[in-house]
Amino acid sequence: MRSIAVIAVTGKGGTGKTIFAAMLILHLCRKGSLLAVDADPDSNLPEALGVEEVEKTLGDVKEVFQHTRDEIRGDKSIWFEAKVFEVINELEDFDLLVMGRPEGEGCYCYTNNLLRGILRKFMKHYDFVVVDCEAGLEHFSRKTIDRADCVVVVSDTSKKGLKTAERISELMKSLGINARKAIVGNKVTDAKAEEMIENFASRAGFEFLGALPYDSMVVENEMAGKSVRDLPECEFKRKFKEVLKKFESWCLS
Amino acid sequence: MVERKKLEIPEGVKVKVSQGEEYDFPVDISPMHEGERIRKGDMYVELAGPKQPGFELVMALPEDQVEDMKVTLVGKDLDELEEGKAHPFAMIYYVAGEKIDSDLEPIIERRNHDFQNYIEGVMHLNQRYDIWIRIGKNAVEKGLKSLITIAKAVMLLFKNEMPFIEKIEAVYITDRDFVEKTLKEVAMPIFEERDARVEALHDEDVEEFYSCTLCQSFAPPDVCIITPDRPSLCGAITWFDGRAAARVDPEGPNKPVPKGEILDPIGGEYSGVNEFAKTESGGVTERIKLHSFLECPHPSCGCFEVIGFYMPEVDGIGWIHRGFPEPAPNGLTFSTMAGQTGGGKQVVGFLGIGMSYFRSKKFIQADGGWYRVVWMPKELKQKVINYIPEDMRDKIATEEDAKSMEELIEFLKRVDHPVVKGVVRPVDGKKITEGWGKEEEVEEEEESEAETEEVQEAQPQLQPQMPQMTMPMPVPFQQMPQLPFTMQSGPKIKLILKNATINIDKIIIKKTDGEKKEGQEGKKEQNKR
Ligand SMILES: Nc1ncnc2c1ncn2[C@@H]1O[C@H](COP(=O)(O)OP(=O)(O)OP(=O)(O)O)[C@@H](O)[C@H]1O
Ligand code: SF4
Ligand SMILES: [Mg+2]
Ligand SMILES: [Zn+2]
Repeated sequence: MRSIAVIAVTGKGGTGKTIFAAMLILHLCRKGSLLAVDADPDSNLPEALGVEEVEKTLGDVKEVFQHTRDEIRGDKSIWFEAKVFEVINELEDFDLLVMGRPEGEGCYCYTNNLLRGILRKFMKHYDFVVVDCEAGLEHFSRKTIDRADCVVVVSDTSKKGLKTAERISELMKSLGINARKAIVGNKVTDAKAEEMIENFASRAGFEFLGALPYDSMVVENEMAGKSVRDLPECEFKRKFKEVLKKFESWCLS
Repeated sequence: MVERKKLEIPEGVKVKVSQGEEYDFPVDISPMHEGERIRKGDMYVELAGPKQPGFELVMALPEDQVEDMKVTLVGKDLDELEEGKAHPFAMIYYVAGEKIDSDLEPIIERRNHDFQNYIEGVMHLNQRYDIWIRIGKNAVEKGLKSLITIAKAVMLLFKNEMPFIEKIEAVYITDRDFVEKTLKEVAMPIFEERDARVEALHDEDVEEFYSCTLCQSFAPPDVCIITPDRPSLCGAITWFDGRAAARVDPEGPNKPVPKGEILDPIGGEYSGVNEFAKTESGGVTERIKLHSFLECPHPSCGCFEVIGFYMPEVDGIGWIHRGFPEPAPNGLTFSTMAGQTGGGKQVVGFLGIGMSYFRSKKFIQADGGWYRVVWMPKELKQKVINYIPEDMRDKIATEEDAKSMEELIEFLKRVDHPVVKGVVRPVDGKKITEGWGKEEEVEEEEESEAETEEVQEAQPQLQPQMPQMTMPMPVPFQQMPQLPFTMQSGPKIKLILKNATINIDKIIIKKTDGEKKEGQEGKKEQNKR
């Protein structure tokens, strides 16, 4: 069996989680089989990865299950598993699962319990699972994803960004997520800000992976509707390679 | 029952036969391969699936008919199928064993999914006529050339993991016509028969029920009991689901609950359920009556799809579903009532259920079933209309008929709802409520004394069904604890009976002279139990 690494990328809104996760995915998928999971209900990971359109999300399947489970004949878990299989998009060099819309009203305990078993079964066959999450770590707190090995918090230089990192740390503890945690700075403009993040990291027990600069190329690329695949050589990309090195020796050792 | 017999293999179709055990497999076989995705690009062929017909079926046959470890392949074999394409595919297993009958077929059949997935390079999804198989290039490269090899491996796994299977034989089909014909003529009737059996299964037909403790995480004392006649209150889990889950994961949230002794066949009280509930809830729930509303109701964790509420003003029960925003005639909304009822406790006067419980033949039978139901939102009523007895369909009010208690009372009187004169529960013909609209009925219809007497004599032993008087009451009751023994006009009488058995030989209702009032005379005997 493969030894997998489940990597969750999280942090305050707008700090650059998605771009970081996308860069990571495009790198790691060359090293082994990879499942990319977009766990942010305001999903934009597919766009960042250059995936045109995701027809159906896991959220859609969950809704169908919630509303038709009464009519499903035979074994519900087998039915559900097949539907989950279908919403995993096979792309050229990795697979993509979009969690999609948040849950509606009613009890999802059974649904999520089935889902946990199914995802666990599917996920263990990938070398890497990279999850782009919101700061609330919703799918981890519901335990639909019941394992994380590395949690990377992306933070800008705002107080709020670091505050969120602290909160995530507490959340991990209360959820019993036993993962290594690291922080990476993004949109960092000066050395002082970088130092601030680094100091925070050592204080709060995070590994510091480095700081990515603010780079207008990133914005331009996005405005042009291009994926991070097409990001030209730039300061951000150059620095990302350094961060990646640190990440690999930290997470994959 | 659909007759179980071996397929007749058609003439003129390619057939390959192999008998005997095989142990030498070119690919690895282990549970570790479960969940392995065979991506489109890595796939050698696809069998059945969304684009081609297919099915899997297990048939129980008499022992002398099953040729152990024999495989018959009808149609092309794996190495003859066009690579990269999807093909029709069916798998039929004949099984025999002393303990095997057709009830076990679905349980055995379910495992085909697992065992196929144990095979490296074979991916099996879904079930019955929705199966979808992919065989990976990697497996073919390693030497997997024949579907017979797959059949042999699966049969060995069946015999290993389900030792009660004494003999097993397989027919695999890739010939399109034969797949389609067999699906239509053999498999579908069996699947339909199975579904019909599911519908027809009752509490008394099974040895054990199943528990669910999934929601204990936020409603700690909660324990749900799932029976054939009482699917889970969240609407998610049937008795069959519970059984499947308990078998797959014995340490999981669904466990078998032996029924034990039946303590109350009408209310649905079992010693095994009581013991289980007591242990699991840490003593919070001591007794559960599965099909009762007012006495020892099933606890509610807050996950219910629909909540029932007792309305003392009309001595009837209303139902409201999640998502209905307006208040019910008792002035409370779904969420208010849900807030009071959730938390895994038994709250007399409220009951959380799943939508499918409306379909149950035992639907709150201890309290009169549908004959006690007075109100539900139109949307909900529409959904369950087929399960409402015909004579009750027009008698259950919706928000269009009644928004307030006054309107509800008016409506019920107008349609002559059973609660007005008293509910006779269908399960045993016992009259369980007194009714509250007698006076006016008598006046309007001028019933004769004789008729009235007859009605009363039909139930000489009247046990008051008012457990809510001796039990802790939820907030809305505290304002109105007394039952509708109050006369509508005339002297207000409040009768509270505790633990009483009443024998009534005769009640005579007469108009008293001069006044538009009626009094009650009669011989009453009260025996303290
Ligand atoms: N280093 C950078 N330099 C300049 N712009 C950046 C940089 N990193 C991210 N951005 C821009 O910031 C915006 C937010 O980035 P991104 O979507 O990756 O963040 P996010 O944390 O995933 O946001 P959300 O919380 O909305 O999901 C995007 O428009 C992105 O192009
Ligand atoms: S509500 Fe449903 S999921 Fe929750 S404990 Fe009951 S049966 Fe299980
Ligand atoms: Mg994002
Ligand atoms: Zn629940």
